[in-house]
Amino acid sequence: MDLSVFHRRNKSQVNEKDIIVTSNFATQLFFSYFKELVGKEVTVELKNDLAIRGTLHSVDQYLNIKLENTRVVDQDKYPHMLSVRNCFIRGSVVRYVLLPQDGVDIDILHDATRREARGG
Amino acid sequence: MAAAAAAAAAEEEIAVKEPLDLIRLSLDERIYVKLRSDRELRGKLHAYDQHLNMILGDVEEIVTTVEIDDETYEEIVRTTKRTIPFLFVRGDGVILVSPPLRTA
Amino acid sequence: MASAGPGLESLVDQIISVITNDGRNIVGTLRGFDQATNIILDESHERVYSTRYVLVNCDLLPGLLSNALIGSLVQNSAISNKFLSWCLKEGVQQLVLGLYIIRGDNISVVGEVDEELDARLDLSNLRAHPLKPVIH
Repeated sequence: MDLSVFHRRNKSQVNEKDIIVTSNFATQLFFSYFKELVGKEVTVELKNDLAIRGTLHSVDQYLNIKLENTRVVDQDKYPHMLSVRNCFIRGSVVRYVLLPQDGVDIDILHDATRREARGG
Repeated sequence: MAAAAAAAAAEEEIAVKEPLDLIRLSLDERIYVKLRSDRELRGKLHAYDQHLNMILGDVEEIVTTVEIDDETYEEIVRTTKRTIPFLFVRGDGVILVSPPLRTA
Repeated sequence: MASAGPGLESLVDQIISVITNDGRNIVGTLRGFDQATNIILDESHERVYSTRYVLVNCDLLPGLLSNALIGSLVQNSAISNKFLSWCLKEGVQQLVLGLYIIRGDNISVVGEVDEELDARLDLSNLRAHPLKPVIH
């Protein structure tokens, strides 16, 4: 990302449209990546150490995640979600997502990353 | 003309002007990542963005915990290792990223 | 931008179970939500998980007693089992909260409660450590 664009302008000239475009770019790569994984099994590990496994149902630009057929990985320790089968996880509390290896081609991922590094 | 453009593009590929350029050069290489809550990762970098969200392959995670012995009040430092084949890491937990060592 | 993502539309007027960033578990009916995941919960209650005995019906003793303390009280016949079962409850406690608005920043997980599964849960026999808070 070329920050010099912002240095040349003063703050008042950075209009709302620019900010929206920038924030769209912000999670584009991983937003797209997770959309490709819809229907696959993932394990989401949260920042409170809770790990939830389930089928990826959907994702949004904040990387909020919806899982179906969920089960908590350590149910004896965490019986707090025993009656929950579908859940929404706020993107901000995610630490890791353990991914299936057959999700997206590695080369495509590398190319998308380089493209994002240039354009973002 | 086209050759000049290609050379310029190639030069841009290797130019390191800002921190993230260094991470770009580590694509498809094993890197070291230090995370909040005393976690460390080593793995092959497959994707990243400007938040330092990342996808790593063949990851080794090391978690360091410190417990206090009830009787002696001594600090017991424990490390737990696990391996994860393919992992998305949310960037807000990243403290530092280190490119592969080039000593070998 | 139209949100084709995981909104909470499908959960409106359903019973949901929310885990907050400070580790609480609140169950209630979802009445509304917005982009920032702020939510309105109706007829809500908190489920308090604990591995300790919780004191009810009694103002004399401190609110929470450790298992070790209760064990020693019983062993020394300081209190009878009958008294114990009257004033001490273990398992999940339910606190009535009513109408609640939870700010999205404090929400970790929103779960759709399967009412059949939930009815089958024996909360009085569920013992667990409280969830850890989220550390950003």
